[in-house]
Amino acid sequence: MADTKIENKEPLFAFGKKERALLTDPLNDNNPITVQVLGICSALAVTTLLFPSIIMAIAVIFVCSFSNLFTSLLRKSIPKQVRMIVQLVIIATLVTVVELSLKALDYPTYKQLSVFIGLIITNCIVMGRLEAFAMANSPWKSFLDGVGNGVGYGVILIIVAFFREVLGKGTFMAGTPIEMKLIGPSTEYFINTMADGSWFSWYQNNNLMVLPAAAMFLIAIMIWIHRAWNPKLVDIS
Amino acid sequence: MRSNKYVITFVTVMTVVVALVLSLMATGLKPVHKKNEAIFNKKAILSAIESRLGDGVKADKMADEKVLSIFNDNITQLVVDINGNPVSAEDVEARGYKGGQAENVDMKKEKKKPAEDRLYPVFIYENNGEKYYIVSVRGNGLWDEIWGNIALEDDFETIVGASFDHQGETPGLGAEIKDNPAFKKQFAGKKIYDKMGNYTSVVVRKGGARNDRYEVDGISGATVTANGVSDMLYSGLQNYLSYFETQSKS
Amino acid sequence: MELVNVFIKAAFIENLVLSYFLGMCSFLAVSKTLKTAFGLGLAVIFVLGFTMPINWLISTYLLDEGGLLGMDLTFLRFILFIAVIASMVQLVEMVIEKYSPSLYNSLGIFLPLITVNCAILGGSLFMVSREYSFGESVAFGLGGGFGWFLAIVALAAIREKIKYSNVPAPLRGLGMAFLLTGLMGMAFLSLLGIDPAAF
Repeated sequence: MADTKIENKEPLFAFGKKERALLTDPLNDNNPITVQVLGICSALAVTTLLFPSIIMAIAVIFVCSFSNLFTSLLRKSIPKQVRMIVQLVIIATLVTVVELSLKALDYPTYKQLSVFIGLIITNCIVMGRLEAFAMANSPWKSFLDGVGNGVGYGVILIIVAFFREVLGKGTFMAGTPIEMKLIGPSTEYFINTMADGSWFSWYQNNNLMVLPAAAMFLIAIMIWIHRAWNPKLVDIS
Repeated sequence: MRSNKYVITFVTVMTVVVALVLSLMATGLKPVHKKNEAIFNKKAILSAIESRLGDGVKADKMADEKVLSIFNDNITQLVVDINGNPVSAEDVEARGYKGGQAENVDMKKEKKKPAEDRLYPVFIYENNGEKYYIVSVRGNGLWDEIWGNIALEDDFETIVGASFDHQGETPGLGAEIKDNPAFKKQFAGKKIYDKMGNYTSVVVRKGGARNDRYEVDGISGATVTANGVSDMLYSGLQNYLSYFETQSKS
Repeated sequence: MELVNVFIKAAFIENLVLSYFLGMCSFLAVSKTLKTAFGLGLAVIFVLGFTMPINWLISTYLLDEGGLLGMDLTFLRFILFIAVIASMVQLVEMVIEKYSPSLYNSLGIFLPLITVNCAILGGSLFMVSREYSFGESVAFGLGGGFGWFLAIVALAAIREKIKYSNVPAPLRGLGMAFLLTGLMGMAFLSLLGIDPAAF
């Protein structure tokens, strides 16, 4: 009898099927980028290299999950009239925290990302999740939802960046200690190269991949693959 | 709907909390930010002579302590005016650059002044009888400003190396001046005078260098940025010429 | 002349959408029909043109170390900028509602959306990092808005046409919009070589 009692009362940090769905849903059926078309704005300009994109993804996951958490904690006391502004202030504060920390931890990457860290504020995913989820759900669930959406977004970002960096510059994780020249003729500039120079040494870097337009094409291709594989997402209109 | 009083109280409390948290964090991290920025700039300066710092040394991957120790032990900083006369640290501080060292001079602010009024930072690197002069230049690329540090031998004619950076050139095109090590490498060994002794600076030539002595290859698709580099080098180095003359005479 | 230069650069050469992906969400969501795209584009010009100078004043006279307060308050930049944008949007909404109900009705639902349009905040942040003067920031705001307007109207027109084409099912709608944006971005790249000083 005691068991049923616990089940009825929702525990604070449960991690059951529903909670798992909050994390996994944004990876497939509800991917913020390829399905919901949110938050493409700010981040795609940074995807020419893998490393800054990973930093960007971490930043978005952080902002998304914690803004969800704080909004959910405050959801009963936020006055309706100033709801939007309060949400924006929460987001902007978290983004400032991210900016100040990044500036202290990794200055060169901070320089590289420049204004795009600030643009997480207007990343529609963050705002969208606050409105659609955190204003109506418990803090723990909101937090998981934020993590899930942040990760769903980050995954796309990292895939795009991987292809853009490898095909555009022939490198992998350039600017980090583990950087290597992956394809194309090896240059002495990179300490780590593949065993024999590098793979496909005939490969000429494709400059198109570095240009902004390539990010669009890559996402279009990903949407194509995603929807061909998961046909219920096809746009019938 | 809540009462106005509630709304105002809520907003006030939130503003105070947020402002407090952020200002604490900002003040707490400020020294770290300042230090990071200084190291970033020092690495950019060392990057111009990285070929002489030892085999396989990359200035941007150097440990922070190493950068600081090179600056302490091997580098003399000097600020000169357009006529090549040294400017004292007090005068530099009076112009608004705290610290009064060459590394404190903000080239961005200096660029807005007429050439006669500018301050020109010089970094002299000395190690085991080698002596290089690193000077800073700044100009305009396609979108925005570009800048660089140029290192010269003590004959004031031969370039040892160069490093460039930019505010917002197109990735893959203009941004190659910074990202492409092959572009920078071409500058080593170039002269800034032709055989007759006339000042030429180093020219970035679209379609390939025609003169081995003072021309380097351009970057395909980035003609405007490349021309920007040429112009920046020409006017930037020209402003240092009188300093070079006074030095080579003495 | 410098101002015309900034305007042309912001509108055509470094278009906020096509070369920085700013304002992408509403760009893709609202470009299904030409009429709404036109309305949203106008609203963006309006808001961008107004917020840029205000944010310029705030950042120069309040936040900068050399400003009136004499303190380095740049860490408050994000919060103040977004607050200005949100209140500006609200203000524009009220003014339009009062003086031109017909325009309000056609724009109505899209106005609040502009607050989270990255192009607006992005414009302000670019202005700070590029250290524009007051005049330049106005020109940049108007030019950036105009470029955004141009891009969304062009995309909406193409999407209206492409509705009648036989696009592979998984690419319909969103996928196609991405491809089109990419192609438009490449087309705009050809304006790279233009020297704005020649105008």
